[in-house]
Amino acid sequence: MTAHPTRVRATLVTLALALVAGGASALEAGDRAPAFAMPALDGKGMVELSAYRGKVVYLDFWASWCAPCLTAIPEVEKLRAEFPADAFQVVAVNLDQQTTKAQRFLSKTPIGYPSASDPKGRLPEQFGLDTMPTSYLIDREGVIRYVHRGFKRGDGDKLRHEIRALLGGN
Amino acid sequence: MTSRLVLACVLAGVALASTGCVRVKPWERDLLARRDMAFEPDALEAKRESHIYFSKEASMPGGSGGGGGCGCN
Repeated sequence: MTAHPTRVRATLVTLALALVAGGASALEAGDRAPAFAMPALDGKGMVELSAYRGKVVYLDFWASWCAPCLTAIPEVEKLRAEFPADAFQVVAVNLDQQTTKAQRFLSKTPIGYPSASDPKGRLPEQFGLDTMPTSYLIDREGVIRYVHRGFKRGDGDKLRHEIRALLGGN
Repeated sequence: MTSRLVLACVLAGVALASTGCVRVKPWERDLLARRDMAFEPDALEAKRESHIYFSKEASMPGGSGGGGGCGCN
């Protein structure tokens, strides 16, 4: 009545894999961006990614407690104003568990692009976010072309270059 | 019989150990990022302590990111 060694080994290997494989894998350039529709942070309707199909989309995950996210916002706002609105769109997803904190921040630093609110963190789970902030540059067909992890002053120039390449290349 | 016992012990060990492995996801650091969650919320004091630590340990200075335990970047 002994357990078969192969079965024992298989069980252990499965267990080890299950422990290591924990979460969803992070989306990278070349992957299709998952479609989503989330409530807007300002409470006015929904923010839907598919509404911007045909435009280059800059998707930014942010939270009011994340210092580099707040550094990014003015630079992203500058990029939004710089490129034509019919070709380029910024969409943000706020991950504050208490949305009032994010709303308070935006009342002092207004943005000209929609921000969804995802306090339960469903979208970052889908995208496999591994750092805050992370942003995705999505092409006109809905495919991720560039992933930007973290944000420090001056990163706007790198993003500008990537956006210009996407807008010019299509 | 022995290998079953070993397997049962290993499984029990893994089950016990895995309960202690809760990974806080990057977007769940809301409360950890609060200033009062830092080991030393006073920036000057934290710098002083870090300096003493790395001088004694002969290591590079370590520490947390902006606002305490944000873990950003």
